[in-house]
Amino acid sequence: MKTSKKNRHVYWNPYFGGFLLGLLIIFTFYMTGRGLGASGVMKSGVVTMVDQVSHEHTLHNAYYSKFVSGDKSPMNNWLVFETLGVLAGAFLSGSLAGRIGFRVQHSPKITVNRRLVFALLGGILFGLGAQIARGCTSGAALSGMAVLSTGGFITMLSIFGTAFLFAYFFRKNWI
Amino acid sequence: MEEELFTSGRSIPNIDPSLQIWHWPISVYLFLGGLAAGLLFFAALFTIIKKEKETPTTVKYAAIIAPIALILGLLALFYDLTHKIYFWRLYTTVRIESPMSWGAWVLLIITPLSILWVFSYSNEIFPKWNLKFGFLKTFQKFLAKNRMNMAYALIPLSVVLGIYTGILLSAFNARPLWNNAILGPLFLTSGLSTAAATIILVSKNHFERKLFSKIDLGLIIIELALIVHMIMGYWAGSEVQLEAMQLLINGEFTVMFFVFVIILGLIFPALLEIIELKGYKVPAVVPALLVLLGGLIFRFVMVEAGQITRYLY
Repeated sequence: MKTSKKNRHVYWNPYFGGFLLGLLIIFTFYMTGRGLGASGVMKSGVVTMVDQVSHEHTLHNAYYSKFVSGDKSPMNNWLVFETLGVLAGAFLSGSLAGRIGFRVQHSPKITVNRRLVFALLGGILFGLGAQIARGCTSGAALSGMAVLSTGGFITMLSIFGTAFLFAYFFRKNWI
Repeated sequence: MEEELFTSGRSIPNIDPSLQIWHWPISVYLFLGGLAAGLLFFAALFTIIKKEKETPTTVKYAAIIAPIALILGLLALFYDLTHKIYFWRLYTTVRIESPMSWGAWVLLIITPLSILWVFSYSNEIFPKWNLKFGFLKTFQKFLAKNRMNMAYALIPLSVVLGIYTGILLSAFNARPLWNNAILGPLFLTSGLSTAAATIILVSKNHFERKLFSKIDLGLIIIELALIVHMIMGYWAGSEVQLEAMQLLINGEFTVMFFVFVIILGLIFPALLEIIELKGYKVPAVVPALLVLLGGLIFRFVMVEAGQITRYLY
């Protein structure tokens, strides 16, 4: 084992990570002609499941019907394969850093359950918000801002602005 | 049997222009057959080179999977047969030029032999079992004494079984995707690789896991090379081969073939095995499961895509 216990929490410099993410987005636009995304996969998954249960319902639903077309599966979408790649890459990077294992990271002042419940609540809110905003941090803010879309800038400001405002009330969960 | 008369080679239901008679049981059977062949090959090989002590899973525990896989595979094959009660006719003849005849006879020998192999180790695999009949104990002792002979028989039989799962397809000269000589060695390599992955999954012995990670890595590299050769073979072929190749590289099966077989089923597990051998901690379950899944999807892709390919008129 080359990796020791002490570097289990050593991450890359976030600014350098952001720079690489920027390069990645240029590459994505060059290769695919569009930006990248994350929440779209969850949406494709949900649409596929609903479609399997009742095709009629998806066709008549104002929201789901937008994502089903003919005989093409909603899972046949480049974001689905991008996410498979993200999982594979994350697993590779986690292996190299020796960080693979089951654990819940949380502040020492809160319990594991509290951490998980808050993660679930936050995730639900974020999922709802991503659908209202037509994209999440990756799909709307990052990819949107890369093409100078006004919506992208507004999404980015709102995500981080409201997070800054609300952090005061929830900070005890972290510090 | 219902009589079917064809007056022309054209427009035959389920046969021309595309074959529609081989369904999922065939893919599952080819996968399980290759897996069993690989497991028996490794069990016999490590017995012959006298390394049983170092590789207990290979010779004992993982070998249990071989007869189970063979029986399940044969059940799948039988389930897919249209005229089930006539299967015994395969055993009324030996045809040296027919892969199906080779397969039928090899399976008839290797399936009981794999059960006997496991039985010869039953007192070590299940130490609490007490064989009730004296003659069973005598028989087991006899088998344990003749284990080396069984191993010598299993090596050629398992290789034939592994190759047969591939040439069963390549003997179809009317299906250009299947009709290439590399399919036999390719399916054998893939079967050995899935067997190595199974041994890694089952084994608790560090030395054995590391050894089979190395073996699996080598096999994956060979398999990738064989796939490249297969595609180059289509590429250099006639229009029918070129059209067949389109299914894999720019058509219906491209995503399945490249994403799930080549990238997630071969390259990515190979990468994980390399970094594991370099000393990083990678849960061995992940590359092993990916190799198994990739092997299964590979059979599905080859069986389904091959049936669509055809000669152009």
